[in-house]
Amino acid sequence: MPRCLTHLHTLAGALGIALALSSTPLPAQTSPAELPEQMQTSAPDLHPDQQVEWILSGHILPGFDALAGRSADLAEVAKTHCAPTDARLRSAFGSAFDAWVAVSHLRFGPSETANRAFALAFWPDSRNKIPGTLRRALLADGDTTANWANAEEFAKQSIALRGFYALEQLLYDPELMSLATPPQTCALVQAITTDMARTTAAISTDWHASYADELRTPSDRYRTTAEVRQELFKSLTTGLQILGDMRLGRPLGSFDAPRPERAEARRSARSLRHIRLTLAAMEPLAQALAAGDTDLARAVTAAFDKARSRADQLDDPALAGVGDPARRFRLETLQQDVTNIRDLVTSQLGPRLGVTAGFNSLDGD
Amino acid sequence: MTTASRRSFLAGLLAAGMAPQASWADTGNPAFLAAGKTADDRFFLAGLDTAGDILFRHPLPARGHAATAHPSRPEAVAFARRPGTFADVIDCRSGAPLARLTPPVGHHFYGHGTFSEDGSRLFTTENAYDTGDGLIGIWDAADSYRRIGHISSGGIGPHDMRLRRDAAGLVVANGGIQTHPDSGRAKLNLPVMQPNLTYIGADGQITDQLELPQELRLNSIRHLAIRNDGTVGFAMQWQGDLGADLPIIGLHRPGQPARLMAEDDPRLRNLNGYGGSVAFSRDGRHVAVTSPRGGVLQIADCDTGALVQEIRLSDVCGLASDDTGFVITSGQGIVAAIDADRVIPRRQHDLAWDNHLIPLS
Repeated sequence: MPRCLTHLHTLAGALGIALALSSTPLPAQTSPAELPEQMQTSAPDLHPDQQVEWILSGHILPGFDALAGRSADLAEVAKTHCAPTDARLRSAFGSAFDAWVAVSHLRFGPSETANRAFALAFWPDSRNKIPGTLRRALLADGDTTANWANAEEFAKQSIALRGFYALEQLLYDPELMSLATPPQTCALVQAITTDMARTTAAISTDWHASYADELRTPSDRYRTTAEVRQELFKSLTTGLQILGDMRLGRPLGSFDAPRPERAEARRSARSLRHIRLTLAAMEPLAQALAAGDTDLARAVTAAFDKARSRADQLDDPALAGVGDPARRFRLETLQQDVTNIRDLVTSQLGPRLGVTAGFNSLDGD
Repeated sequence: MTTASRRSFLAGLLAAGMAPQASWADTGNPAFLAAGKTADDRFFLAGLDTAGDILFRHPLPARGHAATAHPSRPEAVAFARRPGTFADVIDCRSGAPLARLTPPVGHHFYGHGTFSEDGSRLFTTENAYDTGDGLIGIWDAADSYRRIGHISSGGIGPHDMRLRRDAAGLVVANGGIQTHPDSGRAKLNLPVMQPNLTYIGADGQITDQLELPQELRLNSIRHLAIRNDGTVGFAMQWQGDLGADLPIIGLHRPGQPARLMAEDDPRLRNLNGYGGSVAFSRDGRHVAVTSPRGGVLQIADCDTGALVQEIRLSDVCGLASDDTGFVITSGQGIVAAIDADRVIPRRQHDLAWDNHLIPLS
């Protein structure tokens, strides 16, 4: 860390003020909201027999490889650039976070082992545990801090102290970024990023070592290719549900009670970016699952196009407009576009894959 | 309720000793009951053997929900799903119909019920829907299921109800949600809903009541399981915002605070705020909950409260345990056993199994 920056932080901390840079409104991340380059952006016209292999080699494996690679880069950058406002650190963070969002719908198999996905992404944080946990950690004594250097020990910490969402607050929350001494903050940044690099490497390794083959050659965990397709379909529908109900629905709240403070990663103004990234990531998955039915694949593409072009037109990076009637209306329209994708997928793609609306899940009794 | 009927209520619950194991629950007879729906949308209650084969199907006039077996006679009662108004008594060896019960005018069933220990009374959870009062209907199982009367359930929206095992009496899950058949299944009182677990003594009076802390007011206590020592396992259904981290299973003994399972485990959110069925393992060490909304079964250690297993299965809801472990059914027609983290299918049927799997022994 450059000495002058350290002194600046110390001074700011001693005076109890946040650095000027942190108190000004944050610009949206300027790089385009694009999938990691290894991930396919659209699926070709596939024969149904090629479906699973294409989803593995064009979507899942490159997605988790990019996540592991970018998280390793982030941990490497953090070794020498660990001040919250450091441009290189923030850029590496944004790039790794993009890679997570691009696979955040793939919640089965290696990501669920040992709660890895939760350790990377504790969101939504409905009880607001992250700020308090970070505050306690930042003010912890030296012994605790020394412990963080041991990755095994840090991995035992609460998931509210780990992963992208804790790091986001540490890098962008004006109070938290300057609460502790720079060395203490730096130690925590390094511990979190090292932990994320380990977790993402473990997921990627497990996918390559065994789980990809469980999808390719059904035997024990998945007994048939139909079950594999159903698992992939569930990741699509769950991803769409999280997009509509959580990423959009939580900040929208109700007309009378909008909840802008619930927008995902609002401190770094990444909320809208995540919506665009998840749409971009799920579109090729949906297209691939529609393989063999040209009309359906075309309808899927049209439905995603509509939502993506609507999202592209929005200029509301942190979804702060949920309380403003005109801006809110545009977000509600986008939410409706997502609902339309869900309806199309559930009513037409699901039955093709042998998935019908749940007799019990729709019951509510 | 009249003095005479209260005395009758008391008679049912004060029978000495446990009822004998039903002699008919043997080889060749059903091990489980479950409601379901055929591929062409007809509803039924089925008797299943341990292999998951269907031994009989009793047609139901509309969608069923749970069922309960008589402690000594080979009879079971299949309940309508709320707000239904039929409860069919059948011979549970053959499925032959014996009687159809209809609640008094102005009441509907909630889908669950239980016999008294001596088998002389049948108790049914009911909604007196014009007042919204939660009731327990009392029927004379020794006299052609004559309606005797009713008592208060101790709350709104009574759903599951069980016999206590540590004392004479009933335990009722009052889900707290008011509904009226005129508005279908719409929830009418969410702003003020207050679920509870109510213990009712042999005299029909409330002996104990559990309410969870105010921040869990929207967590509707809905389904129950009883361990041999009398511990009550309860499963809840969250009515508030999605994305909240919430306990879904709890354990309770009267006079003690509730213990909520898996608190702070992020996998709780995989349940999507919805517990469909709850059951204890036969050895009482584990408690399990199904969530069709999450497509997942979770098993917790009763002593530590920690989640020990999570198993994914699409539209899973029916849940029971037998000597081999937990047994589950799903809306996709599967009957399966759970072995460690794997689903071991017993039978795949071309029909949809409804919410509950009721063990007969």
